[in-house]
Amino acid sequence: MTLRTKTLTAALALTVAAGGLAYAQETTTTVPLTQPDAATQEAPGEGTSFVATPAETDGAAPAAGTEADAAAQAEAGTEPGTEAAAGPDTADSGSQTEPEAPSTDGEGVDAVAISPGGEAVVPAETHTDVPQVEEHFQAEQGVVEAVAGHGEEPHDDDHGTDHGYGHVEDVHFSFEGPFGRFDQFQLQRGLQVYTEVCSACHGLEYVPIRTLSDPGGPGLPEDQVRAYAAELLPILDPVLGEERPRLPTDNFPSIDGDGMGPDLSLMAKARAGFHGPYGLGLNQLFRGIGGPEYIHALLTGYTGEDIEQAGTLLHANTAFPGGWISMAPPLSDDRVTYEDGTPATVDQMSMDVAAFLMWTAEPQLMNRKQVGLVSVLFLVLLTVLLYLTNKRLWAPHKVKRKH
Amino acid sequence: MAGIPHDHYEPKSGFERWLHRRLPVAGLIYDTLMIPTPKNLNWMWIWGIVLVFSLMLQIITGIVLVMHYTPHVDMAFASVEHIMRNVNGGYMLRYIHMNGASLFFVAVYLHIFRNLYYGSYKAPREVTWIIGMLIYILMMATAFMGYVLPWGQMSFWGATVITGLFGAVPGAGETLQTWLLGGPAVDNATLNRFFSLHYLLPFVILGLVIVHIWAFHTTGNNNPTGVEVRRGSKEEAQKDTLPFWPYFVMKDLFALALILVIFFAVTAFMPNYLGHPDNYIPANALATPAHIVPEWYFLPFYAILRAFDGDVWLVQLVQFVTFGIVDAKFFGVLAMFGAIVVMALVPWLDTSRVRSGRYRPMFKWWFWLLAVDFMVLMWVGAMPAEGIYPYIALVASAYWFAYFLVILPILGVIEKPDPVPATIEEDHLAHYDAPTRMAE
Repeated sequence: MTLRTKTLTAALALTVAAGGLAYAQETTTTVPLTQPDAATQEAPGEGTSFVATPAETDGAAPAAGTEADAAAQAEAGTEPGTEAAAGPDTADSGSQTEPEAPSTDGEGVDAVAISPGGEAVVPAETHTDVPQVEEHFQAEQGVVEAVAGHGEEPHDDDHGTDHGYGHVEDVHFSFEGPFGRFDQFQLQRGLQVYTEVCSACHGLEYVPIRTLSDPGGPGLPEDQVRAYAAELLPILDPVLGEERPRLPTDNFPSIDGDGMGPDLSLMAKARAGFHGPYGLGLNQLFRGIGGPEYIHALLTGYTGEDIEQAGTLLHANTAFPGGWISMAPPLSDDRVTYEDGTPATVDQMSMDVAAFLMWTAEPQLMNRKQVGLVSVLFLVLLTVLLYLTNKRLWAPHKVKRKH
Repeated sequence: MAGIPHDHYEPKSGFERWLHRRLPVAGLIYDTLMIPTPKNLNWMWIWGIVLVFSLMLQIITGIVLVMHYTPHVDMAFASVEHIMRNVNGGYMLRYIHMNGASLFFVAVYLHIFRNLYYGSYKAPREVTWIIGMLIYILMMATAFMGYVLPWGQMSFWGATVITGLFGAVPGAGETLQTWLLGGPAVDNATLNRFFSLHYLLPFVILGLVIVHIWAFHTTGNNNPTGVEVRRGSKEEAQKDTLPFWPYFVMKDLFALALILVIFFAVTAFMPNYLGHPDNYIPANALATPAHIVPEWYFLPFYAILRAFDGDVWLVQLVQFVTFGIVDAKFFGVLAMFGAIVVMALVPWLDTSRVRSGRYRPMFKWWFWLLAVDFMVLMWVGAMPAEGIYPYIALVASAYWFAYFLVILPILGVIEKPDPVPATIEEDHLAHYDAPTRMAE
């Protein structure tokens, strides 16, 4: 090995060492680092803009929200709520003032779904896209359109051999893609929907209650988590041999029994929304496996038609495999009242609870993506250095013959 | 230990001499690392390192996972969720282990097809090939049993289907199946023995890997020309080779780093893409999944298993001739294992004296058709056995056997090979200038 090669090799060794260190630190410290900015960047506008599918309109999400109608949809979702809660602020938010963000952030954290957080919603308006602001006031019909639109777009899942599955629309969630993150407020709203609606028949037996306060999740303050745990079904203490109220260290209850539904802890990973085409798996490669989309499609997919079969009432559902599901439509508009003023449309609640169930299924999603970014970046650097080292090393043996 | 003449280890310091007289371990390491390696190896010769890396990755992550996993039907699923939620870094450990299996199989398939193209299995490397095939079979057994451990729906039903294959053996089938399962059906006893074997087999693989490396270090590497390194003298050998360290170590590390970029991107950004959603549903003996699909790396052989059903005339004929002893189910099992057996026997089925496919004009076409055939089998293995798919599976399975049993033996006789270079050096000089001192 020549001197140059040795230098490169030394640089390489240093990179490996440095990378290893960085990686070790990364895995332990990512959470606190990322959290504040998750709140500042994502929280604003969240509740709202996610109603509509394709466009991620706030600053945190790259690109996306360029199409006009996408923006319109996003707006539509946001508006009514914001008008009510934060009407006066909207103009400001359009111009998107940085200083505001941190403060709103603080408030935002308090806007816990289950505990009255009151006006904390105001910040929900720090959109970065100016054009949206103009459309802010187009309000409600937009929501309807957005929802209706879901059912209408042509869909290649129906081709090929994938019949037998229901129809699942690809909707956009904030946690998709390598840079995706959970929207803390959306998770809180989803928790509210789960608590007030789903939990009557569905458990979350694998989810420790304490994780509600984990960073990268709904991020409830610890006292609220304690209060929330105490309100859940009591638990049979194996040591005492008697029932006691749940503590944050316990898991959510499992709900078993006649007529009860399946546990939802892992539902967002246990269902595939997308299949094919032709068994090639490409739809899942490009759109994701589609568990949350499936949950959203299922909750919004009731047609209103019922049949009675062997004493069971079945409900027509466009997303459910086979088309008939025994679960009665659980959601109706304003079934819950969001503390942050987000309008509780069926579509909005479905999105929120789907996002929440993605979190219960994959609570480490944000940490995982952070690890992914760091390791990919580090490995790319390592690859480049190794490439140069290798090229240098082989140079004397690889002089191209000139013909 | 290599047959190619090269400089051997000379202990220099007093301590080295002292140790060398008692345990020549430094010499072993030196000779292994400095083995003369054909200098024309291309980028398909990197998979060995990737495989060694994968094995170590799986063993290390696996050992840590075992510290948190509980092999019991009532607790296995929950203990995996415990790893995903409560263990520090547990979610990455598990996802790396999960996707590490896929990396392992991607590498092993490319490694095997590399050998099939360049004729690496031919004399004198048959033993290396056979050991490799044993490793591959153990890998499949290990991966299959590992997939059972999370005790999800696909774990349970996959175990039921695959162990059911052994039930198809005439006469002894039922006894054999019960013995494998530790009871009449897949249950706690099955989970426990699979866990035990899943921990054991990787170390058996590790042992075989060492023998595999020993074997090809004895014969020397094959290379893209298929021409042997000259062994008349050290000087002659040096014209054909370069030492493994640093030349091939650097090259392999570069390739490994590049592959790891992709591996980590998949693991961190789409960890469940290669899995099946049903495995996030706890095992339930009362609810059969709509489609029981094995992991992607088993699909080609799963397709062969299903291809030979009772409608195929060959199956009917065999059933008639054997008085019903070999029925359709057993025929499928035989076909599946047979597909691997014919591949293991390829050193004796390939009659061509030219080793590398590079100089075999007709062979090339059949080889690439086999590669396509393998992908088709993989795809059709994931499709339901209805409509046109069973016919596609049948044709593709037939080609798999025809390639090894008919085409390779005949090709060697009728094919007129292209001229083969006399030495590796000659081939190298056709593309590159003679080695120079680096201009500095």
